[in-house]
Amino acid sequence: MALISLGALTKRYGSITALDGLTLELEPGIIGLVGSNGAGKSTLLKILLGLLEPTSGRASVFDLDVRTHGTEIRQFVGYMPEHDALPPDASATDLVAHLAEISGLPAVAARERTAEVLRHVGLYEERYRAIGGYSTGMRQRVKLAQALVHDPRLLLLDEPTNGLDPAGRDEMLDLVRRTGAEFGMTVVVASHLLGEIERVCNFLVAIEAGKLLRAAPLGSFTERTGVLAIEVEDRAEDLAAALVGRGLEARAASSHAVLVALEDDRPYDIVRDLVAELGLPLIRLEQRRHSLEDLFRDPSEAAA
Amino acid sequence: MTASGAAGSIYDLGYRGYDGPRLGRRHAIRALFAHSLRACYGIGRGGRAKLAPIILGGFATIPAIVGVGVLALARQMGAPGGMVEEASPIQHATYFGIIATLVMLFCAAQVPEVLGRDQRFNLLSLYFSRALRRVDYAVARLAGIVAAVLVFVILPQAIIFLGLVLSAPDVGAEFGREAAFVPPILGQGLLMSVLLGSVSAAIASFTPRRLYATTAIIVILAVVPVIGGVLVRLGTPDLARLVALVSPMDILDATNAILFGTTAGGDVIAEAGLPDQAYFAAAAILIAAAIAILVRRFQRIAA
Repeated sequence: MALISLGALTKRYGSITALDGLTLELEPGIIGLVGSNGAGKSTLLKILLGLLEPTSGRASVFDLDVRTHGTEIRQFVGYMPEHDALPPDASATDLVAHLAEISGLPAVAARERTAEVLRHVGLYEERYRAIGGYSTGMRQRVKLAQALVHDPRLLLLDEPTNGLDPAGRDEMLDLVRRTGAEFGMTVVVASHLLGEIERVCNFLVAIEAGKLLRAAPLGSFTERTGVLAIEVEDRAEDLAAALVGRGLEARAASSHAVLVALEDDRPYDIVRDLVAELGLPLIRLEQRRHSLEDLFRDPSEAAA
Repeated sequence: MTASGAAGSIYDLGYRGYDGPRLGRRHAIRALFAHSLRACYGIGRGGRAKLAPIILGGFATIPAIVGVGVLALARQMGAPGGMVEEASPIQHATYFGIIATLVMLFCAAQVPEVLGRDQRFNLLSLYFSRALRRVDYAVARLAGIVAAVLVFVILPQAIIFLGLVLSAPDVGAEFGREAAFVPPILGQGLLMSVLLGSVSAAIASFTPRRLYATTAIIVILAVVPVIGGVLVRLGTPDLARLVALVSPMDILDATNAILFGTTAGGDVIAEAGLPDQAYFAAAAILIAAAIAILVRRFQRIAA
């Protein structure tokens, strides 16, 4: 049975449709939920938690309906909200231990688990200080710790790298990856940054404007992620033709630019050789990031 | 399980799961109740959070301590029995009235602190994503607030009770006389804490802003009785009756007099001339309405 199961799940806020007929089955793993801001990621997580009531359709977690079995589900779910959700006047230890008790843990166990998860997320001496004095990175760690403290089977993380600097992002992503891989916990990470999410998950779900774009193992997304853009002074058409002659997928975008499909490192050498052979002045060689939508089109479509 | 590699310190035992008991909703409600009760007195918060409850609690209990002390001294100096007790301004029957304003200020200061904080810092999403229903949250928070108010109003009465009994020449006889006051003290104390606690909580639940909530509570609890007093002077008994039945402070003034068998302190109650049951019914309706509003608010609030 699927861990999370959605059937024609729809959520409307007045005239705005946040989720539009989402049907999806998710198995345990580290699942990336990608979409631009406002795509419906947060709404979906909140429905899974029973924080929001779906307008129509069905959603179940652990085979329990979210509408009728909210408390049972939430006992085994950890949630890290997107926005800041911490009181400045409490210490991390006090807050996390209190929330552990609200999750149903006895007081002594709550204290023990709090020490354990705060250590896991990398908060040591500072955990006794008031949260008001914490950096953004520390605050995100506290938010992750409160989601982990009751040892949930499912962890829902909403933009866990929000507001972090590059080093902080790396640390947080590493923490998420370790949490999922080492504890055997199913993690759903919502993010608008594909580059981040593909580093930690093994399954991707892409939604756009409340609709499911694609749900597939990470591998099938990365097959055709790269495009090499070559900028030359002129005669781009000749270069494109020569590249095709060498068995690459290439086309001239203009008289100055050629786009080459990049599946491995092979094209770099061929491009270098051909540019030298044709005596073309090479201006720029750039691996281009796809827009999210390009990536989530079917591979067959993207090739066209 | 031991961690290896350069990153792991010797203390890193790796992550362990939790196989212990999960006590579910009931435990969550109890924990939240205890948390609210403590938060009303600033326990587990910084020093500034304790300021208001300590000052208000001090004003509410010091007269009782002083009164009892003076009485004990008079008894030791051999004052004739009964005389000092009657002359003392510190009486069970009047003490709830004496501290009424302080109780109101306690509610106005502390209830928004407890309820507004959760909304101000988005804590509701952390609570509602746990083994708890929204109704449970509202009920547990309210119960903690009511318990805190109950402690506030009962403590000075308990001091008077113990002081009188322990300083009496004949402890047994004094205990017998004092025991008669226990039912009205508990009855009025409970009514006061439930009514003021639930009305304050219902008001405070509507704004994360502490100042707004505090102001609104003071207006409802303190300004309405003033309006009632003005109306009475204008000679409109019908309106006075209406005020007497919707103003929590006037209702409590009336029930205190009924329970202790004395006459009410305020003009409004004297002028209204309503039967005893009317005040208890009005209190029950106000409490039910406040709880309904509170629960509804937390069922609808976005988290």
